Amino acid sequence: MLVLMSVFKVLMPMVYLVVWGTYLWLFYTDHPTPRRFCTRFGIFTVLLHVACMVVKGLALGRLPMGSTLEFMCALALAMMATYLVIEIRIQAKNTGFLVTGMAFILVFVGASFSTSEPEVSPYLTDPGFAGHAILVLLAYTALSLSFLFALLYLILNRQLMRRQFGLLFRRLPSLEILERMSVGAVKMGVPLLFASLCLGHLWMYDLADRMDAEMAAMLSPWDPKIMISWVILLGYTTGLLGYRFLGWRGKRMNVMAVAGFLAMVAAMGLVQQFFPSFHNFRSTQPIETLSGFTDSAKDMLARVERDGI
Amino acid sequence: MIGPTSLHVWSINHKNAPTEVREKAHLDPDRATALMDALGGHVADKNHVPTVSETGCISVVPVSTCNRTEIYLEVVDGTDVDALLRKGLAEVGTDPDLFFSEHASVWTELDAVRHLYHVSSGLESMMLGEPQISAQLKDAYRLARRHHELGPGLLRAFQGAFRTGKRVRTETRISNGAVSVAFAAVELARKFFEKLCDHRAVLVGAGETGGLAARHFLQHNIGNLVVVNRSLENAENLAAILREEMKTGLGKKGLMNRGGLAAPMPDPDLKCGKISVQPWEQLTDALAEADVILSTTGATEPVILPEMVEAAVPRRKGKPLFLLDIAVPRDIHPDVAKISNVFTFGLDDLDGIIQGNIAARTGQVPHAQGIIEEELIEFQQWLDEIDIRPTVAEFKAYLEELKDKQVGFVRKKQSAEVAAAVDRSLQQFIKKVLGRSVSSLKNSQTRQERERDLETLKRIFAPDERE
Repeated sequence: MLVLMSVFKVLMPMVYLVVWGTYLWLFYTDHPTPRRFCTRFGIFTVLLHVACMVVKGLALGRLPMGSTLEFMCALALAMMATYLVIEIRIQAKNTGFLVTGMAFILVFVGASFSTSEPEVSPYLTDPGFAGHAILVLLAYTALSLSFLFALLYLILNRQLMRRQFGLLFRRLPSLEILERMSVGAVKMGVPLLFASLCLGHLWMYDLADRMDAEMAAMLSPWDPKIMISWVILLGYTTGLLGYRFLGWRGKRMNVMAVAGFLAMVAAMGLVQQFFPSFHNFRSTQPIETLSGFTDSAKDMLARVERDGI
Repeated sequence: MIGPTSLHVWSINHKNAPTEVREKAHLDPDRATALMDALGGHVADKNHVPTVSETGCISVVPVSTCNRTEIYLEVVDGTDVDALLRKGLAEVGTDPDLFFSEHASVWTELDAVRHLYHVSSGLESMMLGEPQISAQLKDAYRLARRHHELGPGLLRAFQGAFRTGKRVRTETRISNGAVSVAFAAVELARKFFEKLCDHRAVLVGAGETGGLAARHFLQHNIGNLVVVNRSLENAENLAAILREEMKTGLGKKGLMNRGGLAAPMPDPDLKCGKISVQPWEQLTDALAEADVILSTTGATEPVILPEMVEAAVPRRKGKPLFLLDIAVPRDIHPDVAKISNVFTFGLDDLDGIIQGNIAARTGQVPHAQGIIEEELIEFQQWLDEIDIRPTVAEFKAYLEELKDKQVGFVRKKQSAEVAAAVDRSLQQFIKKVLGRSVSSLKNSQTRQERERDLETLKRIFAPDERE
């Protein structure tokens, strides 16, 4: 298993680099060859990364999102998968270089830098938490992509306003498609966020008796992070309803999408910094003392923490 | 059987001849057919195998478009092609001197094929990379094939030209991007809207320029086209013409004649291309309901004013409004551009897009030339083998016959499996012997040596000799 993981550690950044290169080639040249292969490469990369995560998850006996570097790799996978769903639905490939570029950087950093941080939450072995974490990751990734497409909309809008007919004008899809991609990402993000919040609520009470007394005492549906998440969900749902039923379109809608996302990030940062929350699952325990892990899993975990992916 | 042949092309085109010369040289389908008759490219045996006419001509393909008239000729080696063409042209009433003047270019053999490949790829076209020439070449090729059996050289050259043209258009971006004002307008509209079918365009003005722009939008599946004109009668006339063209498919032809790009006619199931008329007084209402405004009137003062657009914008629920002014003097007041979510473009902007696209197409020329050279290598290889192919086929037939006899003999004495194994083994043997023979023939030092080797092979293995 470790051999396989070592292979994945080298292979994944290379595969992501190939995908990024293909999308970049497409963006700069609009050549039919990358157009034909970029989506296939992307799907292959996602499948390979899923296989990598499964292997690692089985080896560690937990969700492989325990450290910052692991989380970066998982984020890259979520970005690629979400982007591909949107791309296949809307058939617009020329924005792929941005998403795949970010995914490559995340995987490269995640796989290249070894870590000494042994902080792994024991809750990662719990399927409820794992499901919640995956859904949250996918939901916020989708909302991030919505922000990206809205930003591209505003850039192209500005170029058209200024009559600049350069590379972005030639390569970016139409304003309408960018808007649809942005809205499409929100359409994915909203139900995922809703499901993650529901799962989080269910899991929270289920886990109370297994938590430290101090943390269990903090469990509350009024936790600032949860509250902010519900506000975000409400905001994006309102935007979707406005788009669907009130005909909210165009520059104003996309300015709202960009501003909404930035406000969301700022609010999350503030809550993280200044409000106490039970949403802190990092363990301060050394790996050897973690409960719920087999000896071999602890050994492997220590090696993985040391060597990266 | 046809012996050694040679290919020739005479070309009068937009690069080397003015319009009046091109007009004189033009060959309509009737004249082209008469020329084929006159040159003698009509002789074929009962099996449709081309044979040589008394004049030495094997086949001829005249190609005539608004920008070029070219005559492709395949003749038996040693034929006086100049005299042949002069005689043929004189018979059909075209001045032969045109094709032998400074306004004509002449290529022979592989250069003639190279020129044909360039033409079919759009590299020789007035609008670099335009796709119409491919269809025009196919029409000329079909006309010639209906008239007579093409010789092997021209047949192969034209088939290669179609393949090359297709490769160039799919593997490069030489045909990408608008290079005409009307098509640039459509391209610009497509930067706003994903599918034009879901949108409404208003054509302000019912003149010729407006009609052309409207045709382009209709061909690219605009959902609704509303014609608004000071004279309602003119608007209704234009709408009626456009409706008729949509019904009969003449819109495409109309665009071709005007040098526009041919696009597929709208699919009737898409429910696009609805054409209607509104009176001039309802122009402000039309602005509120439309997504694309095409203004092409001959007015001396702006007809679309800021207050009209400002009144329309709040009714649009944030949707962008795309205004295109292709009139001189301008129809749209410059202050309209200052209104939020309203995009105005003029002829200068469209020209900027066209120049950018032409530069991008020009950048693709080396790639296209690379593809042409690849295809020419294949043509040359085919040419190298053309004289040895019949003899090698006879040799192969002889070896196959021997093999069948041997296998039949084995089958009588041994099991079917053994016979099959012997069959496979001998098949491999034949393949190797043939491969070596063809390679030796192709690598002959001189033409005489090659002819001598071929003659020897023919003498030994030809059917009559075997009998």
